[in-house]
Amino acid sequence: MSKIFTPTNQIRLTNVAIVRLKKSGKRFEIACYRNKVLSWRNKLEQDIDEVLQTHTVFSNVSKGQVAKKEDLVKIFGKDDSTEICKEILEKGELQVSDKERHSQIESLMKDIATTVADKCVNPETKRPYPVSIIEKAMKDVHFSVNVNKSAKQQALDVIQLLKKEIPLERAQMRVRILLTGKEARKTKDKVVKLAMSVEEETWDSGTANIICLIDPGNFRTLDEMIRTETKGSGQFELLNLKEMVEGEQTL
Amino acid sequence: MRLVDTRKLSQLQNNPKNIRNICIVAHVDHGKTTLADSLISSNGIISQRMSGKLRYMDSRPDEQERGITMKSSSIALYHAANEEEYLVNLIDSPGHIDFSSEVSTAVRLCDGAIVVVDVVEGVCPQTRLALKQAYSENIRAVLVLNKIDRLILEMQLTPLDAYVHLSQVLEQVNAVMGELFSTEVFENENTNIEKQKEHPPVQEDKDYYDWTSALEDADDSTLYFSPEQGNVVFASAIDGWGFTIHTFAKLFSAKLGIKEDLLRKVLWGDFYLNTKTKRVMKGAQEKAKKPLFVQVILDNLWSIYETIVSRNEKEKVSIMCEKLGIKLTARDLRHTDKRVQLQSLMMQWIPLSQTILNMVCEKLPSPKEIISDKVEKLMCSGIGDFEALHPEAQKLKKDFLDCDSSDDKPIIIFISKMFGVDKSVLPENKPKSLTEEEMATRREKARQLREQQKLNNTSVEPVPIVEQRKEDINENIDEKAEDNKELDDIEQPAFIAFARIFSGKVKRGDKVYVLGPKHDPSKVLSIKDLKIDFDNKLKDLNSDEHITYAEIKSLYILMGRDLESIDEAIAGNIVGIGGLEEHVLKTATLSNTIACPAFSELQYAAVPILRVAVEPTVPSQLSQLVKGLKLLNQSDSCVQVLLQETGEHVLVTAGEVHLERCLEDLKKQYAKIPISVSEPIVPFRETIVEPPKIDMANEEIDSQNIDSKKEEDPIITVYTNNKQSGIKIRAKPLPNEITALLDKSTDLLKAISQHIKKLQSISKKEELETKLEGLYLNGTKHKLSDRMLKLIQVFEDELQSICTKLGPEWKDFVGQIWSAGPRNCGSNLLLNHTTDYNTKFIHHDKEIKDDPRFEYEGSFVNGFQLATLAGPLCDEPMMGVAFCVEEWTLDKNEVDDSSQTFGPLSGQIMSAVKDGCRKAFQAQPQRIMAAMYSCDIVVDQKVLGKLYAALGRRGGRVIASDLQGGSASFRVRALLPVAESFKFALELRTHTSGLAAPQLLFSHWEVVDIDPFWRPRTEEEYLQWGEKWDGVNRAKAYVDSVRVRKGLATDKQLVQHAEKQRTLSKKK
Repeated sequence: MSKIFTPTNQIRLTNVAIVRLKKSGKRFEIACYRNKVLSWRNKLEQDIDEVLQTHTVFSNVSKGQVAKKEDLVKIFGKDDSTEICKEILEKGELQVSDKERHSQIESLMKDIATTVADKCVNPETKRPYPVSIIEKAMKDVHFSVNVNKSAKQQALDVIQLLKKEIPLERAQMRVRILLTGKEARKTKDKVVKLAMSVEEETWDSGTANIICLIDPGNFRTLDEMIRTETKGSGQFELLNLKEMVEGEQTL
Repeated sequence: MRLVDTRKLSQLQNNPKNIRNICIVAHVDHGKTTLADSLISSNGIISQRMSGKLRYMDSRPDEQERGITMKSSSIALYHAANEEEYLVNLIDSPGHIDFSSEVSTAVRLCDGAIVVVDVVEGVCPQTRLALKQAYSENIRAVLVLNKIDRLILEMQLTPLDAYVHLSQVLEQVNAVMGELFSTEVFENENTNIEKQKEHPPVQEDKDYYDWTSALEDADDSTLYFSPEQGNVVFASAIDGWGFTIHTFAKLFSAKLGIKEDLLRKVLWGDFYLNTKTKRVMKGAQEKAKKPLFVQVILDNLWSIYETIVSRNEKEKVSIMCEKLGIKLTARDLRHTDKRVQLQSLMMQWIPLSQTILNMVCEKLPSPKEIISDKVEKLMCSGIGDFEALHPEAQKLKKDFLDCDSSDDKPIIIFISKMFGVDKSVLPENKPKSLTEEEMATRREKARQLREQQKLNNTSVEPVPIVEQRKEDINENIDEKAEDNKELDDIEQPAFIAFARIFSGKVKRGDKVYVLGPKHDPSKVLSIKDLKIDFDNKLKDLNSDEHITYAEIKSLYILMGRDLESIDEAIAGNIVGIGGLEEHVLKTATLSNTIACPAFSELQYAAVPILRVAVEPTVPSQLSQLVKGLKLLNQSDSCVQVLLQETGEHVLVTAGEVHLERCLEDLKKQYAKIPISVSEPIVPFRETIVEPPKIDMANEEIDSQNIDSKKEEDPIITVYTNNKQSGIKIRAKPLPNEITALLDKSTDLLKAISQHIKKLQSISKKEELETKLEGLYLNGTKHKLSDRMLKLIQVFEDELQSICTKLGPEWKDFVGQIWSAGPRNCGSNLLLNHTTDYNTKFIHHDKEIKDDPRFEYEGSFVNGFQLATLAGPLCDEPMMGVAFCVEEWTLDKNEVDDSSQTFGPLSGQIMSAVKDGCRKAFQAQPQRIMAAMYSCDIVVDQKVLGKLYAALGRRGGRVIASDLQGGSASFRVRALLPVAESFKFALELRTHTSGLAAPQLLFSHWEVVDIDPFWRPRTEEEYLQWGEKWDGVNRAKAYVDSVRVRKGLATDKQLVQHAEKQRTLSKKK
């Protein structure tokens, strides 16, 4: 006659997402529900019971080893396990669950698209593209998101790719440059080379007043150049961050 | 077989006295297009048998599929009556509310209208609208009471009941006319009195006041429809018959032994025939006798219907035919469908087309008889006066009235819309069919050639033929090359202008000025040596130029789906003009003098409200989409196309059906690319309300202790980033009356704010010392016009009277107004409650002391404008909110060092005010406002329950539902949120098996009375719902949907209930 093993005092946890925290050389873990930790961290979920499977702090969740009480008191300085759980939830490293990863990638994608839409214009209309069109175009050039790179960095990469798909241009900055002194003329030539187009140029008793559109990528080099070449006497002023048509327009 | 060819028509065109320009207007599904069909069939363009089924004027495939007309189109018909030949230009117009702009374009070009009313449904909202439109354009109308067959077969009325019913419907129509008439008369009276006040001493002897109302003086005898005048037709368009009283008077005068003239007078009304004395007596109702109308007409009709349709007695049909003097073909007699038999009988007995065309030619005016009132209305747009027009323009009035086509008369043509057709439809591009003569000559040639060949056959080799062939081939190649060139052109639709010639004569190749709708002759004429660049096109024009010069490349007679090319046309005709694509956007006036004023703008009943964003499915095709949208904009008078700041292309249409048509056009005709369309962008408004007195469980709040944190302070204090300036703001809801008034006076508010801006720009230019003087000068230099001042005064008085009604809290309200927003003209107010700073909005005078704050007032107001433009709930504009500025301090003496880091102070103040307003708004109970459609549905009682269910599901609410007199159908009026209205028509159609069709029209904004952030707070609420409520909050759903669309953050969680996720690992 074989024995049937029926654990009566075991609680089996399913669908566990583990959050770990290493503190003072000890490892602590808590058992959470999947897909809930990030929304707790984003303050979307207010109910702790919807996040924690149990209020116990473990040293190893999968083995079911509960952390020692004296360790908790020694390291966290409190013995309220719920409070300790909250601290671990905030600071610990977590295992990102499927839906969370999905929404992370999605939001990153959206973020990139928004950044692109923000930075670029349609050169024909001087207006930005709607985010949805950028997203569609990103899909068409088979762009895939890298979770470890920042949205801005990837946006700059994808702009180059998108140019093949749709007419797209970086929105230009409008700047005013004031050049004085002997070197003014020489510096001016260098400046004009970097600028996309010069809108206005006036000379007033040896001072050049130039208003021009520049590529945002050249902003830093220009700033540097003007500062070094004119030794601080030249002025570099940003007039308009993005050159684009504003307001609703009827066709 | 066409009975009349183009040559005949163009010949008829030259006699304006015998031209009738008419349109058919009615409620949707009252039988306009069916009526048009039977009129067209009289000209043999379509077969008699097919009339009513073919719907010839519905040339678009989607029109045929849906069974509604979507555009107005014209057809020229020939009619002979009273030994005269007439040309009738018939315009069929759509009845659906979404396309009411098309009705306006049709009515504008006509001199007369046929108003069709379904006798079962009676007067419907669109009928009312159509009558109003016809009336306001000064158009004579005739009435067709349609679908009388339904009275017989469907409702099974007795002839006597039917007579009563008919007279009721007629009364309804006349009541609408009377209402229109009296409102206009009273309006005129008011203006007349004002005019009299302006020049009081004109008539010295009139020292007594004329107490009689103008209504009594005004003549309204021609206004009403009455059968004895012969302007009412009783008809059944589907069965192809119709009659006036005159028809039957003629038929029966001999039989009854009564003179035709007399019979005409007594056939309708309370008369009966005394059989003994053979005399017609009055008072049929009193003596319970059958009125003559029933006895003579309806009884006969009823018996025919009963014999053929109800009882299906075949033998009797032939007897009846004999009696009526009609010959039915054997085929008709044998036909199994009794309805067809009936139709062919009735069509021969009392044909609809003859009756109607006779009436049209008799009762409706020809272009020659244009009324001077109408001319004046046409010539002065908006609220302008005819006298205010330039004298040279006033001279043109005579030309309008003359409608003369001699060469020395000026050309005046009005284009009411542009419509696109495929280039292949144009007569130039059609393969020409050969006339008989041409065929004969060709035959002759061929024969000669053959004979020659026979002769030459023996002696000469058949070289010439080969040569000829070669030539042919060469020609073919040339043609092919040309074809390819043209192919590109044909891809683009051609635009034809739908136009009416009011004066003069146009020939193909004539050159005329094209005057845009904003053209003002007095402005242009005052400029000396005006230069008009003859090569200019519409797109080259600046915003204040409205004149181009164009050549009329082609002229057409409009024949429904077809166009017939003509060489010239004279005054009084409706024609199509080609080759004006680049000169005319939607409407325009063509003339050979620039003194001609632009015609007054068309008035549209439907406001475009439904917005969707469109984008190409393939992103690289954006340019084609833009091109397509431009073409669409040109071809449809009611559509708006916007390019938003975000770069989205937004299409604004009148309703769902209209939208569908626009998209169809865009995909198939104009852009020819796949398009993806966003969900409709529904507008919302954000507002605040007074804190509620009772909670959701209907318990009083005050009596319960609320355990939430103590009431937030409604007064919000904000500081600019550098702590230089502090502002205290409180938000409070505006009473409905004030909001309504503000909404009404949008234009006025805009004008005032523009004026203030002007003042500000002046004061900025001048130095501070001269500023004061300058502003005093403003009193004279930049004074507003008297009319404006008067309007402002009226506005102020109204506001004041509302405020006094509202109680002491609002006492000083009017003086406190600082600005209105958003965009300087909305229904939100900025109120100045500060004690030490003075500014006035309405009186636009400012006491300028050396107040440093004055400098920043502009940015302060701008902050308010920004806040009201996008509220905190979901970035939609606010509505009906007042922001009271309790305090504004500004410390000017602080060192300016710190301000450098935070940017200029003006910007800081702006953002601080914006922030403050938003916070103050959030401190109050917030609500969302939804746009509401008013919805009018005529529905059979069988499916009334289903209609109510459909309305209830969508959060709609029924205002009224009346049983329609004499029928089994109800007229239901309901309100429905716009956000819930999509696919409503479709749902209703499927659920009620097509028996109910809603007509939606934007009516107003309404507060959704649910707190978007509601959760149980009071004890009672806890009792009822528990701590956490998880039902659906409608307001919250609206807010979230908008936030998602705009890409704003929502509090939606990935997984709602942690425990309810699918268990992935199965091993235990």
